[in-house]
Amino acid sequence: MNPRLRTALLTALLLFAQSKIADAHIVSARLGDFYAGALHPLLTLQDVIMWAALGLLAGSLGAASGRWLILVFPLGLCSGLALATLSNLPAVSPLIDAVTILVLGLLLATALRIPMTLLCIMAFALGVMRGAVNAGELMPQTDRLLYAAGLASAGYVVITLIMALALSFRRPEAAPVSSWRGIAVRAVGGWVAAIGLMMAGLSLAS
Amino acid sequence: MMGRRMLQTVASVALLSAVSISPSLAHEQSGVGGGLASGLLHPLTGLDHLIAMVAVGIWGAQLGGVAIWVLPVVFPLVMALGAVVGILKIGLPVPELVIALSALILGLAVALRIRVPFAAAAAIVAVFAIFHGHAHGAELPSSANPLAYGCGFVVATGLLHACGITLGALARWPGGERIIQGVGAAIAALGGYFLVTSLGMTA
Repeated sequence: MNPRLRTALLTALLLFAQSKIADAHIVSARLGDFYAGALHPLLTLQDVIMWAALGLLAGSLGAASGRWLILVFPLGLCSGLALATLSNLPAVSPLIDAVTILVLGLLLATALRIPMTLLCIMAFALGVMRGAVNAGELMPQTDRLLYAAGLASAGYVVITLIMALALSFRRPEAAPVSSWRGIAVRAVGGWVAAIGLMMAGLSLAS
Repeated sequence: MMGRRMLQTVASVALLSAVSISPSLAHEQSGVGGGLASGLLHPLTGLDHLIAMVAVGIWGAQLGGVAIWVLPVVFPLVMALGAVVGILKIGLPVPELVIALSALILGLAVALRIRVPFAAAAAIVAVFAIFHGHAHGAELPSSANPLAYGCGFVVATGLLHACGITLGALARWPGGERIIQGVGAAIAALGGYFLVTSLGMTA
């Protein structure tokens, strides 16, 4: 047997033998607040849909305008969080959530060319809104700074990855409007808008 | 280069799905998994819905031109309008009958390669979309998680359209057109069967 492989196997065996149940109560440790901030939006379907739709929208518009969101969106999230902790904001009504999803979906479906400034303002506003909503999880003993760092990291990672995905997938500039890649991105916009429309109906009905 | 790009895409898709799957483990929103599953399965378990959605996709591909891209983009929205009508508990006349009729008519349109102006086709499909959306939307408020249910049913319907459009692409190959017409005829026959049963139930 290759000596290097043997060493590696032995080390692995040793590590395995020493491993105990991953009893790291990291969630209750101090650093846990970071993970709480990062995970909370990812476990909330509204956040997942809105962030994904924003990322797709920015990515489909091109790298030149999209790359600003890498900075603007996490900043918006932090501002919203700070705003909500400093002042007692009223809870966002489900209708506003639904209308936001609807508008994002329609913008994606119509494939409008949104100017860079407007896109940045939209991303910042959405970040402030969702940051304020995510402040609802804050307990008195939660470390605000760690929670904000987690939230901003999650926002940064999600928005960057989805924009990159949309950028690599989107219709090439030279291709006709009817190319299937363009249609696929717009169809996802249609789906998102449909979800928003139904949620708006539901919040009006209840 | 191509392979690398594909790998990147696959990796991103995997990551995206991992991110979007996590809600099922959510403790903040109980019932997301259940709502998503029931929403995804609702259009797939009703055979009358399923065949009509596939037929819409095939017909769109057959008509070609604008229809092939307007359909997947606008259909979910019109269907969501129907769902809102269902959520608001506004009744539509003889829903089972119209849904069976939609499968029959769309199946016939595919089988006989009926070519109508785009506006007429859009109007026909829109009426059926409202009835189909109504049927799904009526169950939305009572589901474990309405948002997850909505996501599930929109995605399932969109994927059924994609199946239809892909089937419609068979027309590019010799003999493919015949297969499509055969599928259309089968859909029409099933639609006819559902029509007869719903008539039997209402009579």
